[in-house]
Amino acid sequence: MAHAHSVKRHKGLMDWLTTVDHKKIGILYLLAGGLFFGIGGIEALLIRLQLIKPMNDLVSAQTFNELITMHGTTMIFLGVMPVIFALMNAVIPLQIGARDVAFPFLNSLGFWTFLFGGILLNLSWVMGGAPDAGWTSYTPLSTNTYSTTHGVDFYTIGLQIAGLGTLIGGINFLATIITMRAPGMSFMRMPMFTWTAFITSAMILFAFPAITVGLVLLTFDRILGANFFEVANGGSPVLWQHIFWIFGHPEVYILILPAFGVISEVIPTFARKRLFGYSSMVFATILIAFLGFMVWAHHMFTTGLGPVANALFSISTMLIAVPTGIKIFNWLFTMWGGQVRFTAANLFAIGFIPTFVMGGVTGVMLASAPADYQFHDTYFVVAHFHYVIVGGLVFGLFAGLHYWWPKMFGRVLNETIGKWEFWLFAIGFHLTFFVQHFLGLMGMQRRIFTYLPNQGFDTLNLVSTVGAFLMGVGVLLFLFNTILTATKPKGVANDPWEDGRTLEWTIASPPAEYNFKQIPLVRGIDAYWKEKMAGNKEMTPAEPLGPIHMPSPTILPFVMSVGIFIAGLGMMFSKEHFSNSFMSLIFNNWIVVIIGLLITFGSMLLRSLFDDHGWHIEVEELEEEGVKA
Amino acid sequence: MSVDQHADHDVIKHRHRSEGPQKHIIVFIFSIILTVIAFATVAAGGVNATFTVILLLIMAILQVFMQLGYWMHLKDKGHLMPILFMIFGFFVAGTAVIMALYWVWW
Repeated sequence: MAHAHSVKRHKGLMDWLTTVDHKKIGILYLLAGGLFFGIGGIEALLIRLQLIKPMNDLVSAQTFNELITMHGTTMIFLGVMPVIFALMNAVIPLQIGARDVAFPFLNSLGFWTFLFGGILLNLSWVMGGAPDAGWTSYTPLSTNTYSTTHGVDFYTIGLQIAGLGTLIGGINFLATIITMRAPGMSFMRMPMFTWTAFITSAMILFAFPAITVGLVLLTFDRILGANFFEVANGGSPVLWQHIFWIFGHPEVYILILPAFGVISEVIPTFARKRLFGYSSMVFATILIAFLGFMVWAHHMFTTGLGPVANALFSISTMLIAVPTGIKIFNWLFTMWGGQVRFTAANLFAIGFIPTFVMGGVTGVMLASAPADYQFHDTYFVVAHFHYVIVGGLVFGLFAGLHYWWPKMFGRVLNETIGKWEFWLFAIGFHLTFFVQHFLGLMGMQRRIFTYLPNQGFDTLNLVSTVGAFLMGVGVLLFLFNTILTATKPKGVANDPWEDGRTLEWTIASPPAEYNFKQIPLVRGIDAYWKEKMAGNKEMTPAEPLGPIHMPSPTILPFVMSVGIFIAGLGMMFSKEHFSNSFMSLIFNNWIVVIIGLLITFGSMLLRSLFDDHGWHIEVEELEEEGVKA
Repeated sequence: MSVDQHADHDVIKHRHRSEGPQKHIIVFIFSIILTVIAFATVAAGGVNATFTVILLLIMAILQVFMQLGYWMHLKDKGHLMPILFMIFGFFVAGTAVIMALYWVWW
């Protein structure tokens, strides 16, 4: 092993395009996710501006439909999912004491396919109209009969490509967590965030194939003239709803479980107590994931499934409140009697609890099928899912970002600004969405672009819009905070919160390329805390100092993703009538698709034919760095 | 830690419990026999259609188990996770298929 392979090191932009380091890919996910989160946020503000007063004409009905569709799609698939992956990439290998993920190449491929899928979807704004059939893209509204622009094609193909990245990422984390835990870290000693990331990845593995199939069917219907959802030719529009929600309901648990994980890390750290009821937390997480696959039809109570099916799905949905309740009480009992510090991260984590409970309670209300006939497609539903996704997930993400920022970037975010962010965002959030419960109960429908005056909607909508802008200010403050922090010098301690419990706090911030010079030996839950309590300054190594094998950087994942992107665009415009004969030649004869696929499969061939054995960091190099540190 | 290094360890760990090729050859012959039975039943014709379908399904299920157990090594130690994940996968996919059959098409 002592024969060092020389490795080509890239600088600047090329370094980021070719990196296979999970820490850098985490930062890329964060940047891309942040960008799309910003776009989705601007769309949200435009929606709220349009609804600020009755009979407003800021945007047309068509633009409004595009805005709500893109707001939902962007936020779910391109905004919060990547930020979840950012945290998972930045933290999971460190928490389990590994030097990288199981498949560093795939990790990079997953990021680039996600990014190009997201770019394709958002290109729709400048290429003839965004998708306008809602984020659920229900048929028949999304079929050719009712949706004649390329909007829904951008949706199907963009999401297909982005979904590929998510699926790849999920599989990678499954393999990583199953095979690469440090010696001594049994499953029941894994940190809670690793547990939730594991379960989330499993859910991705089972849920994403459903949307993949659904999107393929819809693409075939729209571009190749198939009839899966065309009633006139024997298709069934309700089939789309089933397929979409078989994916879609697990998807919302895919979103919320990592937030549960973040909260389960932040609260014990800042309460200086171990997590209350660790094993019940694990059990509850698994149960939520399991039940999550058996509740999808509660989105479809009003499609006429019949009383038996409605009753069954009502009950299974209400059952989910039980494991979720276990979690809520565990967090409360963790804080009980602890020395709670109200840092910005902990404020977001504690703010999460009541907010998420409110979203959960309206969830149980919606689970009751007869009541759902009243709530269906009103602002009550909008309020509910924003309470769980924003009040739950986004609070969790902010908590996680504040908490792990020093580990990712070597600098602590400004606490004072952080607290302002929390209060502005939290107050703005409740102003925006609390009133929407009542708007819904009064009968205001979702997805309508305007409303008549004097129905009791006017004031509440104004309040809601004001709240949305407060949230916007909160997010901008966070952005300002990150920029301000970036100008400060690096160099925080390994354990900047001083009460770190898990392995990521035992190594430098940010960690060296290889994370752990020697893989640590894990002797219990909260491995680092256990050593601290035993009076040790650092972990006991589980292996002698030796050369470290590293994967080589490569541009291939980026090129593969470019190929898929080109093929996607070619597919979308394959039936378009072009006035330009050259365009018509290359698009209508599938030449663009073929070129794109050749690029992708060519890169795969290159990857297969030329073995890349990686390279080694030698012991001398490691020791030198040890002296410097 | 790269995959390669792991692979090195695995090779060392796995080597002493490898049983040689005999079992694989037996399983291979057995799968060929199953395939021949399936093809022969259809080719012979004249057999009751329902019976043929049931027979084919049984042959297919046996094949799947042999493939998974021997060629995918699911019968070996240390394969609990793949087995659990496959069972859950069958569960999720089965739910979806049954749903589609009973709710959408009937």
